Amino acid sequence: MKTRLKELRADRGWSQAELAERLGVSRQTVNSIETERYEPSLSLAFRIARLVGLPIEDVFAGPEA
Amino acid sequence: MLYYRLVPANPAMSDRRSLRTLHPALLWGFPLWATTYFAVRVWLEGNPGGPDGAARVAVALLPLPFFLLMLLGLIRELGRMDEMHRRIQFEALAIAFPVVLVFLMTLGLVEVARPLDPRNWGFRHIWPFLILSYSVGLAFAMRRYRDQ
Repeated sequence: MKTRLKELRADRGWSQAELAERLGVSRQTVNSIETERYEPSLSLAFRIARLVGLPIEDVFAGPEA
Repeated sequence: MLYYRLVPANPAMSDRRSLRTLHPALLWGFPLWATTYFAVRVWLEGNPGGPDGAARVAVALLPLPFFLLMLLGLIRELGRMDEMHRRIQFEALAIAFPVVLVFLMTLGLVEVARPLDPRNWGFRHIWPFLILSYSVGLAFAMRRYRDQ
């Protein structure tokens, strides 16, 4: 699953650790999501989208149909 | 145990955890269980002619309450992990379980083919292999999600 999380986080001046703290997950988890090695659950994906203030589809893009 | 020192989890989500952040049940349960287990094992193996029957069984069961304490701590630690670290645990067990299954099945067949000496191949010698296979599974799973 493609994500713009790294770019969105950088735009807001947050470190991985800061974002992780805001989301209540580990920094390693944020890193794995950003590098697209871990696909977050729907619940976490919604939390991320809410935190960056964008619709979920602007943060994550699933495989094209 | 080492894994819990390395992996961050709620509420202390920093990447560097100390023993102090471990759940007390695990922090105390593990050393108490390990100490009691090995003490009991050494005593039972060293005193084959000691007290018989129920007394020996009672001694053999001494580590059990500490193991239950440790188990409680492990479950609590699991509850504090975030979803990716729970996934890592799941993948580690998904690798470890079939490895253990094959190991025990093979050992069972070898035992049928040629009776094994219980002094070398008792349950007390086998359980460390279960931890070993879990550790290998964990190493694979953690490698997949390591920082890049």
